[in-house]
Amino acid sequence: MENSLGKSSSFIRSGEKAEHEAIHHQKIHHHRIGHKHGEGSAIDFYAYASKIRCWNPTFKVVFSFLTLLLCIGLNNPFVSMAVIIGMAFLTVVKGGLPLSAYLSVLMIPLTFILMGTIAIGVDFSSQPAGQFNLFLGFGYVFTSVGKLQEMAFLMLKVFGAISAMIMMTLSTPSAEIIGVLRKAHVPKLIIELMNLIYRYIFILLDVFNNMRNSADSRQGYGDFKTSCYTFGSVASNMLVVSMKKANAYYTAMEARGYEGELVFLEDEKKHQVSHLIIAVAFMLFLMLLGIMTH
Amino acid sequence: MSEPILKISDLHYSYGTGNPALKGVSVDIYQGEKIAVIGSNGSGKSTFFLNANGVLKADHGEISYQGTIINKKNLKELRKNIGIVFQDADNQIIASTVMAEVGFGPMNLKLPREEVLRRVEEALTTMNILDFKDRPPHYLSGGEKKRVTIADIIAMKSEVIIFDEPTAALDPLNAQMLEEVLVKLGEEGKTMLISTHDVDFAYRWAERAIVFDQGKIIADGTPLEIFKNARILAQANLKRPAMLDVYEMLVDNKMIKENNNYPTTPEDLKVLLEKQFH
Repeated sequence: MENSLGKSSSFIRSGEKAEHEAIHHQKIHHHRIGHKHGEGSAIDFYAYASKIRCWNPTFKVVFSFLTLLLCIGLNNPFVSMAVIIGMAFLTVVKGGLPLSAYLSVLMIPLTFILMGTIAIGVDFSSQPAGQFNLFLGFGYVFTSVGKLQEMAFLMLKVFGAISAMIMMTLSTPSAEIIGVLRKAHVPKLIIELMNLIYRYIFILLDVFNNMRNSADSRQGYGDFKTSCYTFGSVASNMLVVSMKKANAYYTAMEARGYEGELVFLEDEKKHQVSHLIIAVAFMLFLMLLGIMTH
Repeated sequence: MSEPILKISDLHYSYGTGNPALKGVSVDIYQGEKIAVIGSNGSGKSTFFLNANGVLKADHGEISYQGTIINKKNLKELRKNIGIVFQDADNQIIASTVMAEVGFGPMNLKLPREEVLRRVEEALTTMNILDFKDRPPHYLSGGEKKRVTIADIIAMKSEVIIFDEPTAALDPLNAQMLEEVLVKLGEEGKTMLISTHDVDFAYRWAERAIVFDQGKIIADGTPLEIFKNARILAQANLKRPAMLDVYEMLVDNKMIKENNNYPTTPEDLKVLLEKQFH
């Protein structure tokens, strides 16, 4: 959170200068790959700073979703590679996101993917089996070239699917994604909740940071026992504060004529025909690639 | 004088806990007035504001806007015409972009989209934050958030604008900006009520001051009358504005002649002194 707050301060200034500074900041903060706390709000920040933010959000959501479906449906390592490269091109080259930042976001699901795929590639047995095996004292760990290949292809597929989704989240602010869902007739209640939760995340993060800092400044995280106690106090305090905030919010909304239905003004961004053509061409290319290398 | 734009008579309100927060408040507010609402913490100012806007429903008493008594049916009319800029901007900003936020009020008024867009543009231009249109509120600074909350109310085109302690949590530069905005809104003929603890600000800006103490209005008059009344100041725990003290000291020490033209800012005093000695 600290680093994303630092970045946000540079975001306040407008125009080219701010953009430059923002990128400069990202460079400072992302000299290494891997993720740290507060990555969630960093994604939000990247979405606002993206150069392809001005593209029509419906186009981006539909495009990335179709790409995801194709990537999974065609189940072909060449298609997966093409998707990974295509999405990286969109996010990094077109979107202007520094490569290190992109990789750091991609690394977030890496642990889960590895854990999941290792279980497929590697197996246990009491007898020596497979092409390669390793005696562990109580049994054998074994695998084969076929299994390893299957594992690698699965990883490629998952990464392709994820990079399609990440392309969307790194170029479209949440409010716009919610707007697309609203157009897709997702129930109103869910849309309103999503809007409120999104706004609330940042308010509660602020509140939490203030509480944590004030506890920290009074040695509230001195040792393990105190830390546990402080964590509990902060958590219960958060509940009270969020109830109060909810009340204050409701009051402010009513004062501006809220009558039970949340409707927000949305910016309308025009479709660009050239984007549509390129997207269709990309889909066709993926399908052809899938069929040719079947 | 003509008919009051907002007439509040004998307003009583108590919160759920049973503690009365307002105990019989009556006040007439006229078109274009600049009113400072002063009083210590917990004296009922905010409760009064929320009642005036119709968010809180009075236990007893009557509110009429431009001669029409407000009931459940025309409550919306009251909310449309009386806007509140809340003290804490983070409690007011609800949407996730500045444009959606400023458009929230007009959208609730069920205006056509073009009209909403026009008003948002206008309000953002007035507050000089058109550049922030697509920004999310969590990447704005405190002063910028305050501007957004004021633009919120400007976009609703409320006749009466209530500011709940607007200068709290603003740095001097932003406080200065706020005063400029207040002048601008004053020129447009808006009626404004501002609650504040800054007596110097109340003294130089307001045409009328209302003093709250323990849920009642204990004084209502020009800022000069009120700040010269030691009894009221003591009862409401108020300080005297520095300019008033300075002026009276100068008069007492025969440095300037008393002429009932009280200076409210250092600039005014400078003019006065230059007249004396040149």
